Amino acid sequence: MIVAGDGAFLDSTGASLGLRAESNRLNQMLVHLRRVMVDVAVIGAGQTKYGNHQLGLKGMWAEAAENAFASVDQNFDPRQVDEAFIGSVAFGGGQLGNTAALLTEHSGMEGVAVRRVENACASSGFALRDAWMAIKSGQADIVVAGGIEKMNDLSPERKRFWLGVSGDTEWERLAGLTFPGTYALMARRHFHEHQSSHDDLVHISVKNHKHGFENQQAHLRKQVSFEKAAGGFMVADPLTLYDCCPTSDGASCVILAADHVVRQFTDDPVWVRSSGAGSDRLALHDRPSITQLVATQKASKSAYSAAGITARDVDLAEVHDCFTIAEMIATEDLGFADSGQGGIFARNGEGIRNEGSVCLNPSGGLKSKGHPLGATGTGQAVEVFKQLRGSVESERQVRDAEIGLTHNVGGSGATCAVHIFGRDRNE
Amino acid sequence: MSETTEWKGYLLSYSNGSLFLQSPYIHDGLTVYGPDSDSTTMAVAGIQYLHAQGQKFTTIRLPNSIDAQVVYMSTSVDSPQRNEELDDEVVDWHLIDGEEATLVLSQSNDEHFEFVEPSGTELMDADLFKDMNAAWEQECSPQHVSQGAYVSQSQYHEGGAARLSLASQKFAGKTIWPPRQMDFSGARLPPEDALLADAATVESWTKLSAAGAPSEFSLRAPILGGVQTVLVKFEEGPRGVFLVCDDVDYSPRIGDQVHFGVRRIYAQEGLIRYGLKAIPHSV
Repeated sequence: MIVAGDGAFLDSTGASLGLRAESNRLNQMLVHLRRVMVDVAVIGAGQTKYGNHQLGLKGMWAEAAENAFASVDQNFDPRQVDEAFIGSVAFGGGQLGNTAALLTEHSGMEGVAVRRVENACASSGFALRDAWMAIKSGQADIVVAGGIEKMNDLSPERKRFWLGVSGDTEWERLAGLTFPGTYALMARRHFHEHQSSHDDLVHISVKNHKHGFENQQAHLRKQVSFEKAAGGFMVADPLTLYDCCPTSDGASCVILAADHVVRQFTDDPVWVRSSGAGSDRLALHDRPSITQLVATQKASKSAYSAAGITARDVDLAEVHDCFTIAEMIATEDLGFADSGQGGIFARNGEGIRNEGSVCLNPSGGLKSKGHPLGATGTGQAVEVFKQLRGSVESERQVRDAEIGLTHNVGGSGATCAVHIFGRDRNE
Repeated sequence: MSETTEWKGYLLSYSNGSLFLQSPYIHDGLTVYGPDSDSTTMAVAGIQYLHAQGQKFTTIRLPNSIDAQVVYMSTSVDSPQRNEELDDEVVDWHLIDGEEATLVLSQSNDEHFEFVEPSGTELMDADLFKDMNAAWEQECSPQHVSQGAYVSQSQYHEGGAARLSLASQKFAGKTIWPPRQMDFSGARLPPEDALLADAATVESWTKLSAAGAPSEFSLRAPILGGVQTVLVKFEEGPRGVFLVCDDVDYSPRIGDQVHFGVRRIYAQEGLIRYGLKAIPHSV
């Protein structure tokens, strides 16, 4: 049975069944039903290079938005955007209020309903989810999700203040912890419980630097040897400099569209097959286990279920590797390795592009591509969009990529958003 | 007269109902406080010692050099200095702050006390003493203010009892620490009414380099070579994270047993934030 736009009920040939939804209420319900069933696609995506930018917030955002607009195959007019969600921690406090309105004002989206989304390092992962939900709810057809962070225009001391604002400040900060320390506690415990080792983390670092070396958008475009990564300056024992992502400036922008308008913009969309999210207790010591992230497990379980796939179906994943131990734990929580086997997975090179069972962080990840906090989540989506469309630099293309995943974590795991993208829509 | 006892990093001797406390550190012939100690932290240790010996007093007279609020949050011992409504006549114990890093807790009104010279003192590195004092002086200045997110004074005081005395909640047969507000049904949890035992096991640890430490520690971390944090599990079940005492020469291992002493954490806006720090049982 088909419901026509005017509320008439038709059979599969289009013939009227003689029924008509007479009341406005029923009509509204039918329109709502149609839109709930709507699929969402990425029609364009772009970002700045990550790193130390001379540009400020407005300039970086304009560059990311410009690249996203330009990536849309047919002409895209930013005035068509219904809503915008922009993730940012507003690092440094320079534009803590109304961050998003400032950015849309300077990118042709003046007047668009916009808001800043803040969930620490997962800010734009959740901006992407909110954008997806805005279309799924039927309230919008074209939505922008993005993220931005300016981190390198602060003094070192002021920077360290802001690097620890997303943990449980009252307890963790008074115990001397910023995130390197928090993740170091997780790493040491993982080594103890699962016989993993720092060498396993070094393998992750070497892999992500190798992937990022070929990415023109990456912050740290240099390969590192196993020996060099193993002997780096100790930041938070057992994590060395080569286990830690850099602090980066950058912006990223993704344009989503409802299925009924997608063809106006492209014949080559990337479909958002599902969005999953979860949360957990903020402080590490309040969680039953510090060697797994429940928020990731919840988010990925939900996302896999909605997309009708398992981890085995994923060809590439942009994983939140703010520290190498974060990737090792994510490998387990996302189902690419069994619980406690993330070290073996890394040791065996399973995440290496076109060599292992799944390519983890083809962009170089946070470790090499960089981590401009609020921009990271949608930056991951930019990479997956390009990989699935075959538009990354040829030397770093993941072969036969059909399904990609993004995994964006806030802080030490208090929040997490997982998205699954595909060349095809959900069946 | 009694022999010297080591207690939470201080030297004690007990004589005729009075307790003498002394920092173990000597600099330039004088007794001086260690890197994160002061008269308040040693006063708390003294009261805790007397309580552990069965002296269950609830009030004490304190000199102005002692932070009476911290003493109260750490030990539940009140003072006229903190509580103006407290009847001074009922206060039996008083504390005398010595000219050097020494204290006396006593019920006696004597002006002179005789104690055995404590053994176990050690010389403090001259540069460490000078640099740490300079750092604390700068940090304690009212002009040393927050540059971003930080633990506000009200937030610090709200969790004071839990932070300084391990006050915990009991609910549905479980011990909850640090305190929480609501259970899963949305009902408010009861206030803290029990103390965790002063014993925990190290489950993980790290040492942050000076470059990786929070900026609250930026003046002192370079002097100390970083800050060391342990994640521990208490016998009652809850976990917590704690700095290791600054003057402890200790490399943690998973499975180590630790106990806790009140120490300075950091200062901001003229207020010293105190908290518990971990002390290994072997030290």
